[in-house]
Amino acid sequence: MPFTKFTNLDFDQIKTSIKDYLRANSDFTDFDFEGSNFSVLIDTLAYNTYITAFNSNMVVNESFLDSATLRENVVSLARNIGYTPRSRTAARAHVTISVPTSATSPTLTLQAGLVCVGTANESTYTFSIPENVSTTINGGVATFGTTASPIEIYQGTFLTKQFVVDGSLDQRFILDNSFIDTSSIVVYVKGPSDSGLGREYQKVDNIIRIERTSEIYLLQEVQDEKYELLFGDGIFGKKLENSSVITVTYIITDGKDGNGPSEFSFSGTFRDSSSNPVIPAGSVTLTTVQGAMNGGEIEPVSSIKYFAPRLYSAQYRAVTSRDYEAIIQQIYPNTESVSVVGGEELSPPQFGKVLISIKPKNGDFISDFDKETILSKLKQYSLTGINQEIIDLKILYVEIDSSIYYNSPQVSNVSGLKATAVDALNTYASSVDLNKFGGRFKYSKILQIIDNADRSITSNITKVRIRRNLKALVNQFAQYELCYGNKFHINSQGYNIKSTGFYISGNTDLVYFTDVPNKTSTGTLDGSGRGVLSVVKRMNDGEYRVIIASAGTIDYANGEIIINTINITSTEKENNIIEVQAYPESNDVVGLSDLYLSFSISDSTINMVKDVISSGEDISGVTFTRDYYTSSYSNGELERK
Amino acid sequence: MAVTRVSRAFKDISLSFEPHPVTKDLPILKNENAIRRSVRNLVETIPTERFFNSLLGSEVRSSLFEFVDYGTASIIEDQILTTVRNFEPRVTNVKVEVDPQPDENTFNVTVVFDIIGQDVPTQAFTFILEATR
Repeated sequence: MPFTKFTNLDFDQIKTSIKDYLRANSDFTDFDFEGSNFSVLIDTLAYNTYITAFNSNMVVNESFLDSATLRENVVSLARNIGYTPRSRTAARAHVTISVPTSATSPTLTLQAGLVCVGTANESTYTFSIPENVSTTINGGVATFGTTASPIEIYQGTFLTKQFVVDGSLDQRFILDNSFIDTSSIVVYVKGPSDSGLGREYQKVDNIIRIERTSEIYLLQEVQDEKYELLFGDGIFGKKLENSSVITVTYIITDGKDGNGPSEFSFSGTFRDSSSNPVIPAGSVTLTTVQGAMNGGEIEPVSSIKYFAPRLYSAQYRAVTSRDYEAIIQQIYPNTESVSVVGGEELSPPQFGKVLISIKPKNGDFISDFDKETILSKLKQYSLTGINQEIIDLKILYVEIDSSIYYNSPQVSNVSGLKATAVDALNTYASSVDLNKFGGRFKYSKILQIIDNADRSITSNITKVRIRRNLKALVNQFAQYELCYGNKFHINSQGYNIKSTGFYISGNTDLVYFTDVPNKTSTGTLDGSGRGVLSVVKRMNDGEYRVIIASAGTIDYANGEIIINTINITSTEKENNIIEVQAYPESNDVVGLSDLYLSFSISDSTINMVKDVISSGEDISGVTFTRDYYTSSYSNGELERK
Repeated sequence: MAVTRVSRAFKDISLSFEPHPVTKDLPILKNENAIRRSVRNLVETIPTERFFNSLLGSEVRSSLFEFVDYGTASIIEDQILTTVRNFEPRVTNVKVEVDPQPDENTFNVTVVFDIIGQDVPTQAFTFILEATR
């Protein structure tokens, strides 16, 4: 029997194949007995084969970005194509600090390092600043930051590390801590002729526009999520002189855990202009402008594998939409999902324009400040003559109205069962199918998830709604357009579009949007797939009265609502929001182009209904159809409840 | 129908690796010699010593530093019996006698067994277990 099995990676399989071979080709017999000498020899051979197979398998796997599993190797392979994985990011809060002081110097400096302590989730987190902040003293009070321009504090501990350059070729400058937020790293190099800490060096990502005298350093991740600084060689970047002292300050952070604190107690230190410590004359007032947010974990291996080849193919040039996706991830690490639409795809086309929507990891909107930062950083990657615009996220909410039938003898606590079903839905709501541009809400999955949430659930009847939030410009005449990107279901009687209440000028009653599909003279749908939007109010007797017959148009086929000029004065919901819902023609809802799909469970309706047939209370089904019946179609209410 | 096992010859390699003076072949252990060697291997193997088979072997070595008395001898006896029963299916009627020699700090071990399916007399072999340091 030839020895042909080369693919075995398991010790027992290797051993068995050696025994099979010997059984057919040898005079010996005792290898089947574990105590025999032959068995000892076979074990040694099989072990050797196993180790060799394992090693060669690892070597080959770890040599390629696609199959590497150890972070160190993935990072190293990504480095070959010029990709630096994102570090942990510290949660940042914005505060102003006001200090009464009797110091006679003109300025007061808040020392780099610990500034304050904040609490979230019953844990205490320290907040630091990476560099000194100075301000002038006016009338015995020094104020750091203003509401419009507060100081930024980083969650984490401030650390300093010094290296003395010894001129040897193998000297490495490795920062000894994991969990560093690399954006907080500040590097000073003190040459023989410099005073103080020396000159500050700037971090660069590539060697474009770098000269022999540029004071720069590069950063790379090495073993155990630590970072190494690389300095110039005298050709690209200034070379370090012997005996120079490198001082590196940085912040190590708790990452995502640091998000949340919004109340802080001050623990910082002050110095006057002569660097003497200053004790505040009274209590320090620390005002929070924005609580800590945007903390994030180090980039996971899966993300590095995904983005490294993309950034490489983008070649630091934002040309295609995929390029933008990779580059924006790099320059704004808080990005969860990016959608980029070229102006030529818009209607009407806007050539030379690129529209970008970004979903940040925490929250729905990115601040104007962040938008400006992203756009200015993007400029160095983008083509000349192309203008980028960051537009606010358009969220398409998917809601369900579900009646869940349960077998009552198997249930001791109905609200507990409901919570189990909601938990299962929440897991799906946070999955990758949703929460992204181009995401898809899969109806059949939802039915399955509900049915499988608990053994006592016998069935469910689930209706799907889609919703957009209309942010009203109050006390202004304005036109609105709401795109859903999904075809609407048309009920010829109307009741397809529903909204929460709002007030319009010239009318004191709470009013709602509703729809009237276009019909022929015989009262059937005219097939145009269009309709008219009306504004109605509810009378005391429960009847509805039309306030504005033609307040806009509805394109059911394309899922668009256009509202003519209207002056909305206030809304029933907070923040000037009017929730406008529709029923999709297909229960599978898609997040089209710039729409971000979000499954809103908090706005969904979940009813628990006793399945009297399964429980045996109703044998004939008469009680079930009379008292426990659920329609699979939408209700006849005009308002959104 | 039950499978009838026919009597076979057992043939194992010898780990002395001394070539035959005439044929220059590797030495071979046959039948009772092979089995005797196997039992000895099992008793002398420390559990976890064998790759991916951590249970193989006996713990007699760990008992060698106990008092050399009949109590320890009985423990060693049990350990050897269990090991042979578990890992050597070719023998039956296994008896182990452990004789403590307190003056020499050793145990004299005699293992007696019958070989299944072989027309050979009852086998016995003796070895000395001694703590060497």
